[in-house]
Amino acid sequence: MEGRQLRPIYDALELPDTKYAEEECEKLLRKHPNHYGAQSIKAFILARSGRPNEALLLGQSVLNTPSAMASAHVQQGLSLAFRALGRPREEIMVYTAALSFSPNDESLHTKVFKTAARNSMFKEQHHAAIQLTKLSKQQKYVWWLVVSLFLQAKHSKDDVSAPVQLKLAERLVEKAVTDGQLTSTEELRVYLDVLDIQDKHEQMTEVMADNGQLAAMISNDPDLVTQRINLFIKIGAYNKAIMAAIAALESRDNWADYKLYIEAVVTLVGQAADAEAKHSLVAGISSNFEKWAGVRGKARGAKLAQVALATRMHEAGHGDIVGSPEALIWDYLTEFQQKAICYSDIMQFIVARREPSVLEYHQAQLEQRLPAARDSATNSDDAAQAWVNLEKIRYLLQALMGETDPKAWMAGIEPLLKFGLGSSQARKKQPSCSDMAFIASQRIIQAAFLAYSAADQREQLHSALFKALCVLESGIQLNDNSFLLKLYAIRVYLYLSCYERAQTIYDTLRIKHVQLDTLGHLIIGHGMALGCFALDMELCYNGVTFYDRFQSKMPRDIEAVYQQGTYSNVQDFLEFQSNIVHSVQRECTHRYALRGEGYEYGNAKETLARWEEADVSSIEHSEQTLSALHDNRDVSVMGLLTPKDMAQWDLELLTQSTPIPGHDFIRAFSLVPQVMHYLVCADIESLQEKLSELTLVVDNTNDTLSRQDVLFVRGIIDVGSLYIQASDPQNEIDDQLSRLLSVIRTNLPSNELDPSLFSLSSDGIRNLSAAAELFTYMLALKHALSAQRLPAANAVGLALSQLRKEALKSVNTLRGWVDKNTRALVEEQWLAENDDDIFADVKRFVVGGQKQTTSMVTKACTTSWLRSVKNLLSQWEKCSS
Amino acid sequence: MSTIRRFRAMDLLHFNNVNLDRYTETYDSQFYLSYMSNWPDLFTVAESPAQKLMGYSMGKVEGTGELWHGHVTALTVAPECRRLGLARGLMRGLEDASEKIHDCYFVDLFVRPSNTVAIQMYEHLGYILYRR
Repeated sequence: MEGRQLRPIYDALELPDTKYAEEECEKLLRKHPNHYGAQSIKAFILARSGRPNEALLLGQSVLNTPSAMASAHVQQGLSLAFRALGRPREEIMVYTAALSFSPNDESLHTKVFKTAARNSMFKEQHHAAIQLTKLSKQQKYVWWLVVSLFLQAKHSKDDVSAPVQLKLAERLVEKAVTDGQLTSTEELRVYLDVLDIQDKHEQMTEVMADNGQLAAMISNDPDLVTQRINLFIKIGAYNKAIMAAIAALESRDNWADYKLYIEAVVTLVGQAADAEAKHSLVAGISSNFEKWAGVRGKARGAKLAQVALATRMHEAGHGDIVGSPEALIWDYLTEFQQKAICYSDIMQFIVARREPSVLEYHQAQLEQRLPAARDSATNSDDAAQAWVNLEKIRYLLQALMGETDPKAWMAGIEPLLKFGLGSSQARKKQPSCSDMAFIASQRIIQAAFLAYSAADQREQLHSALFKALCVLESGIQLNDNSFLLKLYAIRVYLYLSCYERAQTIYDTLRIKHVQLDTLGHLIIGHGMALGCFALDMELCYNGVTFYDRFQSKMPRDIEAVYQQGTYSNVQDFLEFQSNIVHSVQRECTHRYALRGEGYEYGNAKETLARWEEADVSSIEHSEQTLSALHDNRDVSVMGLLTPKDMAQWDLELLTQSTPIPGHDFIRAFSLVPQVMHYLVCADIESLQEKLSELTLVVDNTNDTLSRQDVLFVRGIIDVGSLYIQASDPQNEIDDQLSRLLSVIRTNLPSNELDPSLFSLSSDGIRNLSAAAELFTYMLALKHALSAQRLPAANAVGLALSQLRKEALKSVNTLRGWVDKNTRALVEEQWLAENDDDIFADVKRFVVGGQKQTTSMVTKACTTSWLRSVKNLLSQWEKCSS
Repeated sequence: MSTIRRFRAMDLLHFNNVNLDRYTETYDSQFYLSYMSNWPDLFTVAESPAQKLMGYSMGKVEGTGELWHGHVTALTVAPECRRLGLARGLMRGLEDASEKIHDCYFVDLFVRPSNTVAIQMYEHLGYILYRR
């Protein structure tokens, strides 16, 4: 009967047509107001329709009706509702209530377990696992219990119960082993985790013994082979560690095993009684490395291990026993420099020892080899790659030696450009040519920032960066596969305020899914800063959709781990889930989406409704929640040739056009919607509170917000203050209003002075964008005042109207100027005849040899600026008060 | 030479230098996670001495009876890590796991006819064309 009544609602949900489903719910509830099944499903529908408060109220009221919980339809509807609301405690309460009617229902206990497991509710998970082991003899429930005990103990702050839980887990596993019920590597890994957390490393080694019953499992699992070696080191059984490492390395070439082997030997050397013993140890390991270096397929590992051994021995103070790591580095290079990976392999060892004498040694070696490598680069791909690796080392050494002379960075640029962009190999898309173009571009960018670091030299900086852009684009035109060139092109275009072309290149990278979290920061938010709100909003919505979908689907993957018995994934999946759900980029993307929505023009009614209905409670952050956020943004993908600890040579840092948003951005742009919400709702007290918080944030930013964001946020503070002032009819608002309007006016294009290429490519468009955005919020202020204090609203409206006329005039003039002049100006100023001689070689190359690309880049810049200005003009046109 | 180990979920945050290559597809996270859940020993990654991801292989087991076999779903190596024998190493790992852990009769894979480099590599590893 109940099912028949609910059938139309289920059918509507299957369509899926949430609106129709809700109508069917209402129809049924009109006839049967106490139909708990319908109420439960309605709660689910409300949750899915973005009405969480209503959904929660309704769901809780059904949950608090014990008699209702007997119905399977109520159980299903409510559990789905609370799951959609992200309320696992309430979801578990649904199952618990259902269990009061069917205490031995295995599927209900399983649901409790899975809900708890998905949400890291380890205590509830543990209890559910106990119930399942009592109900059923299935072995998998024993393992569920073991994992639950382990997780609860691991995350518990209770020093008393945690050891008890672990001991119980250990006993359960030992019984499983005795009964022959430990049958998979996954279960073995759980056993080892339980022992490891109790620091029972000796016992672990017994479990992992060569001749033990689990030996076959271990030998088939590469991770466990390495773990065994590591265990021996942990318990101080260094000789056993060495033997295990040798056995492993005889049959495979695994870097982790080399490292552990080295660690064990270095430790023993430190403990050895006399010099003879030390030498003997080192001779043993060196001889093994020599042996393996002669085996096909293992040479690279063994040779690099020799370098690692020497470096580690020097670090540990035993440098007198081994040869110089530097000599070994160059031996390695001689043998493997034709491999693209060579530089990446060896860089960490060069960077490990930065004493002047060591760097001089490297420099001398490089100077011996570089000319011959350069001359033979065209002979073969291998020869070219060898030259690329040496050029990367040249770059690194210059940075390590603290080279700040831009001319030194530009020395020898011409052959790099010729080979990378002008050779027949480049036309054949040889990868080493793209690498060489990349190195050339890095040198130009590095030289530019060193040469023109002062504030009054920014114009020259932009000119140099434009040339770097021509090199990058030439490389991309020749070989579209090179993502490194594209990443830097995006950066430099944004630095020069050219959003449209940056976004086009970003699109070619086809960044999606989880990459939106790690790489989205490259482009998201930059459109808004440069007047391209609509394009940026699309990217933001893609990002928001990814995060929402991830949050709804990830729980199923955690459940699947328990279902499949692949328990080693549990902690990893939980960590991954936490990293994405609580990611800095997620919060930033969300804030940008809110910001974009705030910028959308609407009439008075629409604008006021938008701010009144804004859900401001869910976006609040405390210090605690902010510090718990994970920053997954991947900057290592930028392929830095220098170590990250060298800020002056960190091109990833230098090419940031604005600070990468972080906590201060999240704070500020969580508070802005709150300010507007309380302003529109006429809640003065809350408004004052939020304005104080916002002032605190912007006063303490310390360069973590861009200049324009600071300008905008301070403007919002003034908007809020003006509203408060205007709320009291006795207060005058003229001064405050004038100040606010002058902030906007100052950032409009000047009618007196001609614009300049430099102002356009630096702050001009950004300032104009911030001004337009602030104007939109002032319109909201005017609409809010209209309902409460009409004279003030009229004054504001009149002033805004006047300002808008001025803005339209000056932005229109700017548009015409950009359209008519920028192309010629770029050619005249950024590719000038009497240019700075530092970049003369580059200019000659790009103008002489890459005319088509240079023309394309010029057009890309001018088109991008024009697009930004046109968008902003359109925004001003729409913003009528 | 690299560290060959199981692929972990957290590696999805660090695989851009592999997946930004235009011939490598980036799937929904759930796709990768389902392989980790179902066939964790057939999903391995190679990590460089500098702890960068170099490439990975994804596989599964399927079929019944004598058609019970391992299948290579994806095999990809970062552009700067090519020509090191890495793909061969990852394939060997997958084959070993298919045989020793899952007791499979054979391993198969799909490859585009236009991908002649990959076809050549698989043929060197002993694979034959079974059907188009």
